[in-house]
Amino acid sequence: MKIVDTCGQKCPAPLIATRRAIREAGPGEVFEVITDNLTSFNNLSRFLKDNNTDFSVSEVQGKWNLRITQGTVAESYTKPQDYCSTPPAAFPKGNFIIVFSSDRMGEGSEELGHLLAGNFIKAVKDLDLLPAKIILYNKGVTLVSEESPVLENLKDLARMGVEILVCATCVNYYKLEGKTATGILSNMFVIAQAMASAGNIVRP
Amino acid sequence: MEVDLLQMVENGGCSAKISPRQLEEILKYLPLPDDPDILVNIDTHDDAGVFRVNDTLALVLTTDFFPPVCSDPYEFGQIAAANSISDVYAMGGDPVVALNIMMFPSSKLPMEAYAGILKGGYDKAAEAGVRIIGGHTIDDFPPKYGLAVVGYIHPENIITNAGVRPGDYLVLTKPVGTGIILAGQRLGIALPDDVEEAKRQMKILNRSAAEIMKKYKIRGATDITGFGLAGHAIKMASASGVSLTISMKQVPLIGNTYRLSEDGCIPGAAFRNLDYTGEKTLFASDLDYNLKMIACDAQTSGGLLMSVPEEIVSQLLGDLHASGLADSAIIGRATEKKPKLLQLDN
Repeated sequence: MKIVDTCGQKCPAPLIATRRAIREAGPGEVFEVITDNLTSFNNLSRFLKDNNTDFSVSEVQGKWNLRITQGTVAESYTKPQDYCSTPPAAFPKGNFIIVFSSDRMGEGSEELGHLLAGNFIKAVKDLDLLPAKIILYNKGVTLVSEESPVLENLKDLARMGVEILVCATCVNYYKLEGKTATGILSNMFVIAQAMASAGNIVRP
Repeated sequence: MEVDLLQMVENGGCSAKISPRQLEEILKYLPLPDDPDILVNIDTHDDAGVFRVNDTLALVLTTDFFPPVCSDPYEFGQIAAANSISDVYAMGGDPVVALNIMMFPSSKLPMEAYAGILKGGYDKAAEAGVRIIGGHTIDDFPPKYGLAVVGYIHPENIITNAGVRPGDYLVLTKPVGTGIILAGQRLGIALPDDVEEAKRQMKILNRSAAEIMKKYKIRGATDITGFGLAGHAIKMASASGVSLTISMKQVPLIGNTYRLSEDGCIPGAAFRNLDYTGEKTLFASDLDYNLKMIACDAQTSGGLLMSVPEEIVSQLLGDLHASGLADSAIIGRATEKKPKLLQLDN
């Protein structure tokens, strides 16, 4: 398998190498692109998604390995309806964010903890002011997995305009790649910035 | 010693701007001073602030500085100055005086480079009729240069982001592509002719475009810089309460900008801008990917984007062409507000 190693190169050199590799590859051919630059990795991912190119990612010690399949069309990322939908009425938001670092609420019984987390998320929908953002990291990311019992409530919040930031490293760690059903996969910089600029942080 | 400023930077020019999304997040938490004499503030994301002195005079204040966009110190000084002064022109003002803002690594570069940058700035300011009356330098690497500029304007003649009306045509006065061409230059894949053309465009003052804009009493305009064509269009649409539609194939491009983009030479700043514009933009389902990224390409010292009523658009365009701005073109139109502030078509 062909490997395009762009380590040490900065934007846009890795993208130039990737575009060339896609052009040169035969239909359906699989090849790998390696980068050690987070910005380049994010931009490559965005480029591949925008061009409906199937790829998977593994991260090892600060290097990202993108396994790309030439000519494949993944699930369409740019369906017109994604862009055309009329935004729902604006729900007022407060100057606070909610952070879930676990899929449970409080110490004690695990079962009760899950139940409480679900109730909490449901209650958030009824607050006078919605949170500006909800941030999920560590085990918290499982709340947006396809199997999550609170998924529908989180999807509702997303539809109401609450930005849900999901730690991508955590998603990879818990092997949930492609299995998160709402929220935006984010890096630690975005998360740190959101937390640093929040008026209040609510940790259930 | 041959000085090559370009080897010192990863993001030159307005590509070095902080992401518009990050900026918006932070500005939300800074209270704006409440004063009736502040006629324009960052509320509408305008190019400059405007402060009323009396009923016939207001001051236009702006500052801009950035790392090198080219190798030659003198040319860098010219481009940085043209870019700084441009914000006054975009508001319809007359630039009057300026201060230098310089960061310069005196232990890494010869003082001739310092002098070269300043000389470029002085010469470009002189061309604009601007007197540089002082400045400030600190020792820093990599070098950065720009101006803080003050201009005059009549309080009733301010041209802002908020002056676009549905039905107006959008006219752009300079071709797009400086970010992509400069990235290509750093990697050695841009053609020398294209690099020369990009530098020529960046050095052009927006003065004659602004004079024509004032002649036709245009109310809405901005200059295209670090947030790219799409980013600045969104800020205009948002401030004016309208939506804009841009036909990317009508947008003039510098030389081989499209081919470089096709080769993947898309700078990181374009992705950063896409991050911001993406959710506010309706991309036509058949929109060419390269044109989409070109719309997000960060421009340095870009042209003016004006909102022009239908009755005068052909005359105004004729005046722009006659003034030497040969690439000026109609690139789109304003409509009533739609769910998305911007629509990008092929």
